[in-house]
Amino acid sequence: MTRYIAIRIGQGALVVLGAVAVSFLLVNVAGDPVGVLGGQLLGPEEKQRLIELYGYDRPLSEQFVDYIGSVLRGDFGESFRQPVGAVTLVLESLPPTIWLVVGSVIVTFVVSIPAAVLSVLRRGSKLDGGVRGSLMVLQGLPSFWLGVVLVLIFSVQLRWLPSYGDEDWTSYILPIAALAIPLMSSVVRLLRSQMLDIMGMEFVTALRAKGLSERDIVLRHALHNAMPPLVTFMALQIGWLFGGTIIVEAVFGWPGIGTLAITATNNSDLTVIQALVVVVAVVYVLLNLLADLLVLAIDPRLRAS
Amino acid sequence: MRLRGGRFAGVGAALAGGIAIFAAALALALAGTLFMVDPNAQDLGTTFAAPLTEGHLLGTDSLGRDVLSWIAHSVTTSLKIGLAIVALSALLGIVVGVISAYIGGALDTLLMRMVDLQLAIPPLLLFIAAAAVVGTSQTTLILLVSVISWVTYARLVRTQILVEKQRASIAAARLAGIGHVRIVMRHLLPSIGSVVLVVASLQLGFVLLWEASLAFVNLGVQPPDTSLGFLIAQGRSTLAQAWWVVVFPGVMLALLLLAANLVGDGLRDYFGVEAEVIDR
Repeated sequence: MTRYIAIRIGQGALVVLGAVAVSFLLVNVAGDPVGVLGGQLLGPEEKQRLIELYGYDRPLSEQFVDYIGSVLRGDFGESFRQPVGAVTLVLESLPPTIWLVVGSVIVTFVVSIPAAVLSVLRRGSKLDGGVRGSLMVLQGLPSFWLGVVLVLIFSVQLRWLPSYGDEDWTSYILPIAALAIPLMSSVVRLLRSQMLDIMGMEFVTALRAKGLSERDIVLRHALHNAMPPLVTFMALQIGWLFGGTIIVEAVFGWPGIGTLAITATNNSDLTVIQALVVVVAVVYVLLNLLADLLVLAIDPRLRAS
Repeated sequence: MRLRGGRFAGVGAALAGGIAIFAAALALALAGTLFMVDPNAQDLGTTFAAPLTEGHLLGTDSLGRDVLSWIAHSVTTSLKIGLAIVALSALLGIVVGVISAYIGGALDTLLMRMVDLQLAIPPLLLFIAAAAVVGTSQTTLILLVSVISWVTYARLVRTQILVEKQRASIAAARLAGIGHVRIVMRHLLPSIGSVVLVVASLQLGFVLLWEASLAFVNLGVQPPDTSLGFLIAQGRSTLAQAWWVVVFPGVMLALLLLAANLVGDGLRDYFGVEAEVIDR
């Protein structure tokens, strides 16, 4: 098991290294940092001086080693557009995004697990049909549009909830709903099919013969056995959630990673983009590692091997 | 979930439903190009016309632009971009997958590590980072999204080819002195058709969603081209006056995504392919 964890950590480190390489290639090879910095105003001589000042004239390998060194020190240089370190900007906007992602994951679990259990317990009933029908519709809804429609209903029409910023807890409700609703439908679908598969297994017949009620079987055994694939699935979805927040944050003016990424793109703030790519890759790798450990913790079969 | 009761009946209905929606969308797109007013044409006399009034089936926006025409033209753009991306990323993925599986060895390991790496960075962030460097236009949109989303094809094609390669007939063909290129083209490629078709239809949904999402944050298609996402973004500021400007394009987008999912799921169950597209 230790070996398995070590391999996963090694793979995670490789992913981060890859992200570092990608961010380097994008800016130092494909991009034109000096042109971005100086705009169209600079003459060729001044431009050359800037290139030398920032060291963009050195061999790429040297620049890359240098870049890795600064990344390890957590230093991506100053933002191109503000007198702040690029990494500071990214780290400041990380917590609001993480709260959104964590909140959506929690809400998704809290709603989907009972829904899936009910749907399995009453399979074939009208309730089950209703759950499955609404899933089909909800799964296809784009979260940014869902966000705008939620604003239309709850902020513009009913005036119950704020539509902008992150003032207090009420402002979390709409963005989390916009992210969680499409996710919920895939989770219920996954859980439901996993549990139905388990309900057809031999050990379930044995449990029935022992006289366990259908409810106990579903709650204690089917749900329990369906958890590892669910956690793995959620880990994969975290990448999607980070992507989804980028767009959803734009709907709600949320001061997170997404808003920062879009502003930085519009301003060609290249150092901030570099810091974003690396920091998000690190967060992503850590969350996936956490999910792996969680699966190990809840699935004894894996611990043995 | 599959195999449970009336599998093929359900598959047929899902496929038919999906194809019907696509056909309707195509008809709308065609009608938009042929008969409708220019979506960018402003008519300041009839701003915020409600649906079904003043000759505007789905109403007008703050500048008097016809929402139906905008939707129709956006569907054209979305489908064009979507199909271009699907074709390009499928091509890239097939080439990498086939090379990786057929040649194998260190090259295979290298290519598959690249695939893992790409699956590990949130694709939207990757896109935004690239867009920051090279700028946004319809061409860069198509190229970047394709470069980001070929990995699913590569993985599945590789698995399929690895299996097919073991067939006795392939060894026999080699012994008969048939060249590698010919073996790949004539004997291996035909076997991946169903996998590619399934992934392509599932991917189309994601790509349409991407296109609209990026247009929504102004990183996608640029005016005078139109997009459903762009229209939703425009309508946000006038939500209180005109709900129809955001609601109808969203419904259209949801219908397109539903159609892609119905066709994708239907084909997947029909071919019995284990394919999951996870590149959201």
